[in-house]
Amino acid sequence: MTSVRPKLKPETPKTITAWDTASGQVVWMRADGSWSDDPTELGVFTGAAAEDALAKAQTQEGEITDPYFMEVTADGQIAGRETLRESIRANGPTVPYGVII
Amino acid sequence: MYRYDQFDAQIVKERVDQFRGQVARRLSGDILEDEFKPLRLQNGVYLQLHAYMLRVAIPYGQLDSRKMRKLALIARDYDRGYGHMTTRQNIQYNWVALKDIPDVLEHLAEVEMHAIQTSGNCIRNTTSDHFAGATKDEIMDPRPWCEIIRQWSTFHPEFAFLPRKFKIAVTAAEHDRAAIRVHDIGLHMRERDGEVGFEVHVGGGQGRTPHIAAKVADFVPEAELLDYLEAIMRVYNRFGRRDNKYKARIKILVSETGETEFTRLVEEEYAAQRETEKIALPQAEIDRIHAYFAPPAFADKSATSEAFERAKAADPKFANWSEVNLHPHKVPGYTSVTISLKPIAGLAGDATDAQMMVMAHLAETYGFDDIRVTHAQNVVLPHIALDDLYTVYRELDAAGLATANESHITDMIVCPGLDYCNLANARSIPVGQEIQKVFADPAYERDIGKLHINISGCINACGHHHVGHIGILGVDRKGEEFYQISLGGRADEKAAIGDIMGKALASDEVPGAVKTIVDTYRDLRTNPDEKFIDTLERVGHDPFKEAVYNAAD
Ligand code: HEM
Ligand code: SF4
Repeated sequence: MTSVRPKLKPETPKTITAWDTASGQVVWMRADGSWSDDPTELGVFTGAAAEDALAKAQTQEGEITDPYFMEVTADGQIAGRETLRESIRANGPTVPYGVII
Repeated sequence: MYRYDQFDAQIVKERVDQFRGQVARRLSGDILEDEFKPLRLQNGVYLQLHAYMLRVAIPYGQLDSRKMRKLALIARDYDRGYGHMTTRQNIQYNWVALKDIPDVLEHLAEVEMHAIQTSGNCIRNTTSDHFAGATKDEIMDPRPWCEIIRQWSTFHPEFAFLPRKFKIAVTAAEHDRAAIRVHDIGLHMRERDGEVGFEVHVGGGQGRTPHIAAKVADFVPEAELLDYLEAIMRVYNRFGRRDNKYKARIKILVSETGETEFTRLVEEEYAAQRETEKIALPQAEIDRIHAYFAPPAFADKSATSEAFERAKAADPKFANWSEVNLHPHKVPGYTSVTISLKPIAGLAGDATDAQMMVMAHLAETYGFDDIRVTHAQNVVLPHIALDDLYTVYRELDAAGLATANESHITDMIVCPGLDYCNLANARSIPVGQEIQKVFADPAYERDIGKLHINISGCINACGHHHVGHIGILGVDRKGEEFYQISLGGRADEKAAIGDIMGKALASDEVPGAVKTIVDTYRDLRTNPDEKFIDTLERVGHDPFKEAVYNAAD
């Protein structure tokens, strides 16, 4: 189901994102390895620390589903090739919904 | 409408219980996503961009008020107050929590609904003409046959793991509103010497390699239909490619094998089915299913209604809506009403819980409790008396459901695109909204006449862009959204795949390009009655290409 995601270089700043299994809500990993549904709280990882964080996420696949690397800037803003997709994923559809026009 | 028997009710209930157990194991971490995914997909549960999505089957698009109210309740209590009607006459919920889905399925089971076979490589919901049983131009009501196919294909053990998904559509009207020629199997009901049978088309499809189906049989008699379908399914199951997902649909088998050879294989399999294997449906069973679809008790009415004529004279908006959104009914004094879910700059195909309640109420009070979801993502009340029409219209209007655009340029088929879909390259909904704004003036839209725009956010083509008169496909150019426009597709009995016009355009160029295409048509048409697609066929695509790309240079 997941779309093709670009491979990121080790030095590229990134976070881990996934879905909360019970609710389906999008989550991001905080710097301490816990999960948040608020993208402003995401942790930024690079190199081996990032690989460790992803490996750790993969051991938590009960609580969360399908973790993967998402590119961010050094200060944690969504960045790179998938910016539009990940921004919509973080902020919701770009159109209002559930309303009578 | 068909009613579950004890057996139907029991298998649906058992499936809910089984899935409840599977979800519990997923939530406790006993099984992980890789193991769970095939299980959830068998129950219509996808994981999308933001959340889980639940696709609920609406057999041949038919609902009644009880079902519609249940869909509204689910939208309100388990989703964010709306649902999305799909081109396969189903409904999708975009925000349901996995932990709640077993409860949602239990609600659905209470009204004889489920999400079984709405995904995965099985035979999906059989779709049909949304005016079935009401329209003047059908030789008979195709729904009993859709129901027979539904019963045959549900949990059919031989066809549970096909090479790829499989979609069947049936129509009995000369004008094909069910897009049967772009389905894996399309059945066109025909009459011959007083007997009813099926013209069989196989191997249509969209996605990355669109194909128009090949006609493999002119006339399969009713009693032999299931045997014939079984022969096709067996040929596909045996020879369909399982090595490559992109070559696994039956359309590839038909085109790689060749129509003649494929037909021969089907005939051979059909002949080889031993007598003991034949399904040969007993006439009593055919009659039993048909009885569920007996026409409602229409009143004896005259073909015209004074109340209707008076209301039209008094309310020009109503008069305009009546000219656009009504379809001729076989019984005098009645009409079929299209409720457009395409308000200008709205959410194509979405209905809120409150709107669903209004539609349920109107169907129950004025429409013999019959509701259809159309493949163009609208809703139809098939049997409304002309005498009641103005009342129905005003209630629709108060609920934001009286947009007058059926089959016109702002009545677009639009897939969820990047606003919801995990596979998308680009957004579809906002592009559709921007195009709608260009054509928001009702007089301009009426002048343009019938014209289908179809938008997909990626090559999977859920928005049927290949068969749109104007098709729009979202593509990703280094993270930017671009759109490829094609011309000349059509989904009806003259089905054709559109031709790409030229290089893809940036999203803000698309509405202007569509306007250029439309205004070029208005200049070139011989008279206002010549439809866009007919002008296009007559003059070719070049004048349109020149207009769009020269203007852009
Ligand atoms: C948002 C979740 C959806 C996903 C993940 C999805 C996925 C896909 C995929 C992968 C295909 C290509 C299949 C193939 O060619 O083998 C496809 C085709 C199709 N989908 Fe969707 N789709 C989604 C939503 C929808 C919606 C909302 C509609 C109706 C508006 C729809 C209707 C169709 C149709 C009619 C086709 C093409 C016909 C064909 O199978 O040849 N899908 N979809
Ligand atoms: S066409 Fe593509 S973007 Fe649109 S719903 Fe289908 S898979 Fe998603």
